[in-house]
Amino acid sequence: MESRTTRFSTTIFFCRQIDPDENTNRRALEKEYGGAIRFFPLPCSGRIEAQHLLKAIEAGAEKVYLVTCPEGACRYCEGNVRAKKRLEYAQGLLKEVGLPAERLQVTRAAGPLPVSIDALTRALLGLPKSA
Amino acid sequence: MISAERKPFEEIKASISRYKKVLIVGCGTCVAECAAGGEKEVALLASQLRIDASREGSKIEFKEMTLDRQCVYEFIDQVTPVADKYDVILSLGCGAGVQAMAEVLPKVHIVPALNTTAIAETREAGVWLEDCRGCGDCKLDSFADICPITRCAKGLFNGPCGGSKEGRCEADPDSPCAWQLILTRLEETGRLASLDEIYPPANWAKQQGKGPRKIVREDQRA
Repeated sequence: MESRTTRFSTTIFFCRQIDPDENTNRRALEKEYGGAIRFFPLPCSGRIEAQHLLKAIEAGAEKVYLVTCPEGACRYCEGNVRAKKRLEYAQGLLKEVGLPAERLQVTRAAGPLPVSIDALTRALLGLPKSA
Repeated sequence: MISAERKPFEEIKASISRYKKVLIVGCGTCVAECAAGGEKEVALLASQLRIDASREGSKIEFKEMTLDRQCVYEFIDQVTPVADKYDVILSLGCGAGVQAMAEVLPKVHIVPALNTTAIAETREAGVWLEDCRGCGDCKLDSFADICPITRCAKGLFNGPCGGSKEGRCEADPDSPCAWQLILTRLEETGRLASLDEIYPPANWAKQQGKGPRKIVREDQRA
């Protein structure tokens, strides 16, 4: 499938636990939108570091999402809580350089799990559903 | 360990504003433990500086490097071969690290990016507590291993002051009363009798007002 020309550049870090088939499910979007959407699966959203988020902005992402599992559903208990704190810290660093904190956003997958990363991303970015 | 906090971004930015090639040097020891100046923090600051420079259309080169220890010559010497390729070194080391680098690199402008704060312990994840003032005359054994100089807001050797409430310090309710901790620990270790002793005031003249303190060990010298 030919990649569409898109007007946005989005990076999505996501907890791999929300979608056991993420490797397959994100491929369609990656093919469809080329480099406009970049996915970075994490073993747990709690493994995110502020530097990952800032590097994504530095690399040109207009918007960076961190997708965590639903509240209370973290396989490692507090990963999604930590993820939110790390993102908030990175937002503070972004504000220091005069960029809007909203360019980094955390979003919780709506339960129950599993959730398709393809469907979640399309809903998040307002993209048409896959054929 | 030595604890530190990063300076505000604007202050760092202003201090290197006239330079075009900046070497950012972290330290992998104390300031890495307190998440102020390790490899991750170097990467974060470099990222911020690059984003900021890009927004302002400035062409500034930022290079990252982290030494195992920024206060020891053999480690600082890793910077020597590359130092002259940069206009300035932005150090994420403690005050000792900055000064040690300056000693090794006399012709290089070295700018501190951290405010060094204390000798501290990692109390829990994300919490660092000052518990030593480096007074040079340790009396922890007399005070159940809790330093009254550092952890009692009034620095009392002959406490408690009587002002604590529910085990909290009256001067800083966020902190436990150091003397409450001392009493509890003395009791738990069967040493309550040591409370009967009257401790003379610390003799600060031993250590203060004579310039930098220095330890010389002939057996360790070259």
